Amino acid sequence: MDLKAQVASLQEFYLVCVSAITKAFKKPYYTKETIEQMDYAGVGSFFIVVFVSLFIGMALSLQLSAELSSLGLKMYTGRVVGLAIIKEIGPVAIAISFTGRVGAGIASELGSMKLGHQIDILRVHGVDPIKKLVIPRVISAIVMLPILTLIGDAVSIIGGYYIAAFVSHQSGSFYWSQIKDIMNFETVTTGMVKPFIFGYLLACISCYAGLSTKGGAIGLRRSTTRAVVFSTITIIVMDFLLTKVLLYAFGKEV
Amino acid sequence: MIELQDIRLAYGKNVVFDGLNFAAEFHEKIAILGGSGIGKTTLLKLMLGLAVPDSGRVLIDGEDISEMSPERLRLARMKFSIVFQEGALFDSMNVKENIAFSLREYTDFSEEAIDKRVREIAGRLGIEHAIYLMPEELSGGMQRRVAIARSFATGKPKMMLYDEPTTGLDPLTAANICTLINELSMDGPPDKIGLVAVTHKVTDAVKIADRFIYLTNNITFDGNIREMTNTSDTELREFIGELFSRVCSKDI
Repeated sequence: MDLKAQVASLQEFYLVCVSAITKAFKKPYYTKETIEQMDYAGVGSFFIVVFVSLFIGMALSLQLSAELSSLGLKMYTGRVVGLAIIKEIGPVAIAISFTGRVGAGIASELGSMKLGHQIDILRVHGVDPIKKLVIPRVISAIVMLPILTLIGDAVSIIGGYYIAAFVSHQSGSFYWSQIKDIMNFETVTTGMVKPFIFGYLLACISCYAGLSTKGGAIGLRRSTTRAVVFSTITIIVMDFLLTKVLLYAFGKEV
Repeated sequence: MIELQDIRLAYGKNVVFDGLNFAAEFHEKIAILGGSGIGKTTLLKLMLGLAVPDSGRVLIDGEDISEMSPERLRLARMKFSIVFQEGALFDSMNVKENIAFSLREYTDFSEEAIDKRVREIAGRLGIEHAIYLMPEELSGGMQRRVAIARSFATGKPKMMLYDEPTTGLDPLTAANICTLINELSMDGPPDKIGLVAVTHKVTDAVKIADRFIYLTNNITFDGNIREMTNTSDTELREFIGELFSRVCSKDI
């Protein structure tokens, strides 16, 4: 792709991102579509998130119990598991799982609509594809991803507790007191701001990838892959940037 | 009237149109002929502003569509209706919901009124028995009928645009679709509903159109059937086929 085409596609992506916010407050509102998307993205991802989170929590607790044990700090497993899950691993791992299921789904659905001229039909009927297709998906992602992250964090911590208490034979009540200790404004804010931003970005990237599909089945494969790869990279990079900003905002020294 | 003036469009190094000029009155019945991948569908998209040319202007009733507000463009597009190849039906909606789509978007009809209108159109197009089926359950011919029904739901357009209306259909179904297209084009008082059909099936084109355009990177032929069959353009003669050419000459 030449430079001109790259700049043009960057401009189109920027327009999708901005329109997803500015047009969301203008009529008509597609409430039914938004609820359908929330059901698909949120309810449909529930079991995947629970499953992934449970094993992440258990693996982390197992690893930390072993490492901290050698330092004589095994009793702090709960604290480290809690902080790592709530602030970093939970939001990132769940956003990446969400991308794999929902982001790929958005890109392939919109891509298929583009190739099948259904998006053209919307425009011919005077329906703005951004309002009817993009905004419900963006709203769905920015609402459902934080909720799923909250659920996933809880499941991970429970998984961590199971390993700490029943495998590593630590005090269960001390594990929970450690978790309670770290539950302050800073930890919760850090853990909850990230999924909002990840949800917005991955939905915009996936919608743009779908809407810019061209070239038949190969083009559809390319746009779905692009949606997942770019979303994953963006989530990881954005996690670093957000961590930096939030640490600064909360006045924490590194 | 729809006019395309000095249109240039390229995708990367692939030049689709270079200096294309085309004009049509809304009541005309036009077939655009040309080989696969030559830009026939793109031409329809240009007419509706669904594709944007690199240079040149598209005018609907003398007004440049690139300068129209979204609402103005929506109203201008309502003068047309397009039926894409394979129908482009919304596959998450059944036939009734597909036909009712624009009624739900742009009218405040009650559910009873929508149901009445859908049944009226579906009955007219012979698909009333299928209104609760999903698009995947329909044959190619039925899908196109539903697409036509959807395009007539909110009212009669001035001009219908058909993208390969008979491609992929058996000869009998293709003939039925041609008959339907002809019937619908007679159905627009006070003026007839015009049509632009892009196709590579010359035999179907002559059933529905009376003006023929042959497209390469530009329009290389524009005339009626007599002029087409007597053309000296070797490429067009090859495209329409010598046999067809002779048959038509005898008929004429």
